[in-house]
Amino acid sequence: MLTDTIGGFLESAKARHDVGLRFLDRQERATFYSWAEIWRRASSVAGRLHGEGIEKGDRVALVYPTSIDFIDTLFGTILAGAVPVPLYPPVRLHRLDDYSAATARMLEAVSAKLVLADGRLRPILGSAAAAAGPPLGCRTLSDLAQKEDVTVLRSGDDLALIQFSSGTTVHPKPAALSHRAVVAQTKALNAHWPDEDGCINSGVSWLPLYHDMGLIGCVMTALERPGTMTLIPPELFLARPAVWLRALSSYRATISVAPNFAFGLCIEKIKDEQLVGVDLSNWTIALCGAEPVVPRVLNRFIETFEPFGLRSSALTPVYGLSEATLAVTFSDLDKPFVSRRFDRDLLSNAGRAVESEDGLELASLGRPLEGVELRIVDGDRSDLPPGVVGEVLVRGPSVMEGYFDRPNATQEVMRDGWLDTGDLGFLHAGELFLSGRKKDVLILRGRNHAPTEVESVVDEINGVRSGCSVAVSWLPEGADGELLMLLVETKRGADRPDDAELVDACRRAVRVSAGLELDVVEVLEPGTLPRTSSGKLRRAESLRLYLAGELVAPEKMTPWRLAGAAFQGSLKLARLHRKNRSRG
Amino acid sequence: MTRAHELGILEQIECLAREHVGFRGELRRELRLVEDLELDSLRALTLAVEVENHFRFCIEPEIEARILTVGDLIDVIGAHVEDHAD
Repeated sequence: MLTDTIGGFLESAKARHDVGLRFLDRQERATFYSWAEIWRRASSVAGRLHGEGIEKGDRVALVYPTSIDFIDTLFGTILAGAVPVPLYPPVRLHRLDDYSAATARMLEAVSAKLVLADGRLRPILGSAAAAAGPPLGCRTLSDLAQKEDVTVLRSGDDLALIQFSSGTTVHPKPAALSHRAVVAQTKALNAHWPDEDGCINSGVSWLPLYHDMGLIGCVMTALERPGTMTLIPPELFLARPAVWLRALSSYRATISVAPNFAFGLCIEKIKDEQLVGVDLSNWTIALCGAEPVVPRVLNRFIETFEPFGLRSSALTPVYGLSEATLAVTFSDLDKPFVSRRFDRDLLSNAGRAVESEDGLELASLGRPLEGVELRIVDGDRSDLPPGVVGEVLVRGPSVMEGYFDRPNATQEVMRDGWLDTGDLGFLHAGELFLSGRKKDVLILRGRNHAPTEVESVVDEINGVRSGCSVAVSWLPEGADGELLMLLVETKRGADRPDDAELVDACRRAVRVSAGLELDVVEVLEPGTLPRTSSGKLRRAESLRLYLAGELVAPEKMTPWRLAGAAFQGSLKLARLHRKNRSRG
Repeated sequence: MTRAHELGILEQIECLAREHVGFRGELRRELRLVEDLELDSLRALTLAVEVENHFRFCIEPEIEARILTVGDLIDVIGAHVEDHAD
C-alpha cells in the first residue's frame, strides 16, 4: 500500500490494538474499536462493496450518524479503491422536503453509484435516491453480501474523498480531494502536536463526521498518528454540552476543536453541578475555527472553566476551509491567543489595519501551516503590503484539485494553483486577521449556508417582490456570533400585507424550511437593494449600505425630477468644460 | 391512551420545552412545533433529544418526519408508553 494514501495510513495502523476510536452513547457509555479492528472491518466492507460492483474511483455516498458504521463504510469505501462522499443526515423535527431535494442534488453532483445509509435513515432517503437514481441504489451495510476481504491500491494523485463545501445545498460544490492532499493536511496537523516528553496526545470530538473539521481534523489525524479519538454524537453535544467537557476530563484528552459558537454554548448552558470532578488541565490544545472567532467569547470561556483546570494558553484560533482540505493557518499552541484592536473607520472605509487602543478587537489566526503559502491581493491580484485589507489566496499541497465535475465553479476560485478563499483579511506582524468576506455565504453556528437557502424560501410569500430579497450574515461588534439578516423588498399595491405581518411570515418560512432563525428582517421599498449592471443583487454591498445607514429607497423619477437631473448634469458638464479650457 | 395519560405527557413536554428550549406560554395539542414553538434547528434537536431521554426511547426518523404538531409528538410518546406499560 502506498504511503501517501489513506489506505497507507490504515496499513500502518492495522497492528495497533491499543489505540483507536471510542464512541460515546447517550448515557456516555464508551465502545472502543482499535485500529486493528477498524482495519479488519473496513477490509470486509471493501470486499462486500467490490462484490456489489463498486470499482476504482466510483463515488459512494454515506449517510450515517456518528457511529462505527460510518467509519466502516468510510474506510471500506477507501479500501475498495472508491471515493466516499459523506452527506449530512436530516435536521430533527423538521420537514423532509427540503432535505430530500438537497440530498438528491448532492447525489447528482457527484454521480454517486451507491448510497450507503444507516438502517434508521434509509427509509427517509427514498425520495432523494429515487430522484438521483444511483445505479446500485440506496442500501444498508447488512444488505451487502459477505465476500472475501479486499484492499485496492491507489496512488497519491487519485481522488480520495469528496467533501461538500458546507452551505452549498442549493448549488452543491463538491470539493474533490486527492489522497495526497488529505495526507499532506493530516501530516501537517499532526506535526503541530508531536507526542513528546512522555505526553501521548489523544482527542475528543463532537463534530459531525461529514464536516472537514470532524473528519480530517479528528478522525484522519488520529489514524495517522495513530492515536485515540473519542467521538461524541453532535446532537448529544448540542443538547448537553457538558458531555464534551466531561469526556475531555474522563479520557484525559489533550486536543479538541470546535467552532466559536460551541464555546459560547458551553458558557450559556453548562451548570457547575454538571462538572463535578471534571479536570480540564490535560486539554492543552483547544482549537477554535470554522467561523469568525470572537475574542470576548474565548476569554469568557477561559474565565468560566479555569476553575476546572482549563489553561488559558489552550485556546487557539485557527483558519481553514474545506477547499483547502481543512486548516490554512494556526496560532501558537503554547501561548495565550492573541487579539489586537484596529481603528474601525480605517478598517471599514479605507481597508487599512492600524492599531488603536479602543478599536475593533480581532483575533489573530496565526501563521500558515508548514508548506502552505498565503497571499493578500487586490482585485487585480497584485500583492498588498501588510496592514492592507485584501482577498486571501492560499496555495499548498492540501488545496483541492477543484470542484468535482464543475469546471466553471473551479475556475472561479482556482487560478495557477492559488485558491481564492473568498475571505477578506490582512497580515499584521506576519499573522493573519480576517475582517470580512466577499463570497456570499452565511456562517451560522459553525456551519456555512448559501444565501439562496433563505432567499428562495421567502420568495413565494405574499407581498414579497419575487427575486428581490437578500440574506446576509455578519458579526456585529459586541455580538457572540454572526447575525442573520433578511433584506426584503415588497410589492407595490393594495393587497400588500403590512410590514409586521410580512416580517412574521418571513421568519416562519425560514424557520420551517431552512431551520434558521432570522435575527433581523428589514422590509424595503421596491428598487432599494443594489444590483449589478446585469441586474444581479449585490449582497455584500447591501450589507455595507445597511450598516452605513445608506440603504434607502430610490427617489421616484417624476418628469419634473428627470428634467431637474438633466439640468444638473448639463451644468456639471458646462463647469467641467470651463475648467478644462482655463487649464489649456 | 386515556385523557389523563395524554395530559400527563403534555405537561412533561411543556416542562422540557420550558427548561431546554426557552418556551414560554401554554402548550396545546394543535401548536405546530417549528412554527408556533419557534424551534430553529438547534432548539428542535435539543427538544427531540430531551424528549427521547426523558421518555427513554428513540424516535425512528421515519416516524419523526411525520411529527409536525405537539399532538403528533404526544401520540408518538403515548404509543411508546403503552407498548412498554406491561
